[in-house]
Amino acid sequence: MKPPPHFAGAFQIFQESKGETHMRKILSLILAASLLLGLGSAMATESPTEIVFWHSMGGVNGEAIAKMAEDFNVAYEGKIKVTVEYQGSYDDAINKIRAAGMSALPCDVVQVYDIGSRFMIDSGWALPIQEMIDAEGYDITQIEPNIAAYYTIDGKLYSMPFNSSTPLLYYNKTAFEEVGLDPDVAPKNFDEIVEMAEKLTVKDADGKVTRYGFGMGNYGWFFEQWMGKMGLHYVDNNNGRGADPATKVVFDETGGAEAIFGVWKRMIDEGIITYLGRGNNDAKAAFISKNIAITLESTAALKSLLVNVGDEFEIGTGYFPNIHPDDEGGVSIGGGSLWMLASGNDEKQNAAWEFVKYMISPDVQAFWNAQTGYFPITVATHDLDAFKDNLAQYPQFGTAIDQLHSTAPQYAGALLSVFPEARALVETYTERLINGELDIAATVTNLAKEINSAIEIYNLTN
Amino acid sequence: MSGFTARKNLTRLGNMLLNIPMLLVILAPLIYTLLISVMPPDEIYRNMLIPSSINLNNYVNAFTHPAYNFLTFIRNSFIVSTSVMLGQMVTCSLAAFAFAFLDFRGKKWLFVLVLATMMVPGEATIIANYLTVSRWGWLDSFQALIVPYLTSAMGIFLLRQNYLTFSRELHEAAQLDGCNNPRFMASIVVPLSRPALGALGAYVFLNTWNQYMWPLLVTNSSNYRTVQIGISMLYDIDAESLGLMMAGVVIVIVPSLSIFIFMQKQLINGLMAGAVKG
Repeated sequence: MKPPPHFAGAFQIFQESKGETHMRKILSLILAASLLLGLGSAMATESPTEIVFWHSMGGVNGEAIAKMAEDFNVAYEGKIKVTVEYQGSYDDAINKIRAAGMSALPCDVVQVYDIGSRFMIDSGWALPIQEMIDAEGYDITQIEPNIAAYYTIDGKLYSMPFNSSTPLLYYNKTAFEEVGLDPDVAPKNFDEIVEMAEKLTVKDADGKVTRYGFGMGNYGWFFEQWMGKMGLHYVDNNNGRGADPATKVVFDETGGAEAIFGVWKRMIDEGIITYLGRGNNDAKAAFISKNIAITLESTAALKSLLVNVGDEFEIGTGYFPNIHPDDEGGVSIGGGSLWMLASGNDEKQNAAWEFVKYMISPDVQAFWNAQTGYFPITVATHDLDAFKDNLAQYPQFGTAIDQLHSTAPQYAGALLSVFPEARALVETYTERLINGELDIAATVTNLAKEINSAIEIYNLTN
Repeated sequence: MSGFTARKNLTRLGNMLLNIPMLLVILAPLIYTLLISVMPPDEIYRNMLIPSSINLNNYVNAFTHPAYNFLTFIRNSFIVSTSVMLGQMVTCSLAAFAFAFLDFRGKKWLFVLVLATMMVPGEATIIANYLTVSRWGWLDSFQALIVPYLTSAMGIFLLRQNYLTFSRELHEAAQLDGCNNPRFMASIVVPLSRPALGALGAYVFLNTWNQYMWPLLVTNSSNYRTVQIGISMLYDIDAESLGLMMAGVVIVIVPSLSIFIFMQKQLINGLMAGAVKG
């Protein structure tokens, strides 16, 4: 093989320098080195397009993301290189975008939680996924329709669903058997829950309850879900999905909030449940340690529940319970989706689109589902052996998929800019109701008033 | 053995009997954290206190898994916390010196102005600071983490109050003997104010060590991330692993405890010196 011309030059200098002064030798070495360096940078012009992905997944979920990004970089070596950066919780990440967006958009793809969707749309920083889909003619039917429905506003898919979950009812099958209940039948509504819970309650000699039949965390997400289960809207303007954003809540007019708070009040007053705090952590711990026999949790918690329970008892799953026996609505999804940011740089945007497509490809989704318990959002994943094996191993996950498929896309759930705040308010008012500070009617009115003023302020300032 | 030492030993025994239960109460959360971090995962929710076997997987995972990189985080936190601590000790003691010993026009107003900055909550300025730092192109660097914290009104106030307890004659006498201000500072003020400086140092170090929001905002890559962000990486609302989180907490607590052990001698020596001299 003949060396390229500048290499030959370098060799010549070496040969000439034989026997000559020291200085000359060093000079020639420097020259050769600089030529080599020049060659190196000439090759580097074919460098991959670098994109940055921000996410909020910690623990095993974060480990899974790291692995998926690594595989992507191998598959697209020399073309695209993605850098994965963890940005704190969903709340932290959205605050960071808000701050960073004032100067320059800091990343190309970002994972945002469900309730941040309206903010992302209003911010104007997002590049709607629909534009990439239309430009490429990407087949959108690959995406689970009930999941895509949540992120579709005005017929436009804004972000790519990625880690989606729904709420689910979990119960202790072993405890069901103990008290003579059919371990294969989960309660479907709160009347049934109350009935079963009475049988499942265990008291010690002093009459102190050692196991409650039912327990649930005070979690604002459930409130939204029950609204959907009753087929009611949370806010006006087509549940916040119209061309204009929502201007006020409607749950105080439709009786939805009253029904939900009614359930809370009844359960607490009749001593069927004990208050397990805000969020879901305490309810989860109580379920694992057998202090409650039925609970509500996200589908994504299935795996960590199974791991922590081990072979202490058998876990069964059922649909998220109805408020009234004849409710006909459905559950909506929670979790996060991938948003592309409009950088104006076509090369980066195309690279980001490739990355988004990779993340939802059937194989990657099967891996993601097995690692985390989020839904595979691509329909084709259901045909993969990896997914079937996972389902065989955790048959409880089948309930989650059935529940998702039995829901009509019109119950996709509300979109609201101030959802994070509204959710916190729902939890505060649930607490005030439980403490007996307010009655049901006052809880509903005050809650609606506070959320409405938050919406008003947001709409005025944006 | 004389009666005196016997009585002394008795007092010591009494102190121990009193202090050990106290210690256990105070340390209980820490000990429980440590126990959970080494507990096999299926025992955590069984109301067990003592793990049946020691499981170090959580620690191995936190240190070696590429998704978290605790060694880098600890190094970064040390660099940042130590720099901020040293920086504040220098700038605050110099400013405090000027406010305590020197006379210049507008001193009172300037001091009030410095104190006024204490009334502005950090949250109010964080976005403005972020925009400044980002315009300077400092995002994702050590200077973004260190420079904004190189001085503090709290530190200036603390040291000034301490310096005011030294008699002014000390300064005047030194000046008469031809000792200039830098030398007076170095050979008299700093040695005398060691306990206050030590307290400031420990306080600043811990505060910087525990920072979360600012480091999260100005850093992106794990090359500059600090330990508190590392801990939050171990947590996920849908995939909670208590053992791993607790291991992270223990890893992060150990270095910050070490600063106390390191500073303790300084603090106690200083306090004793003050007590005897009156």
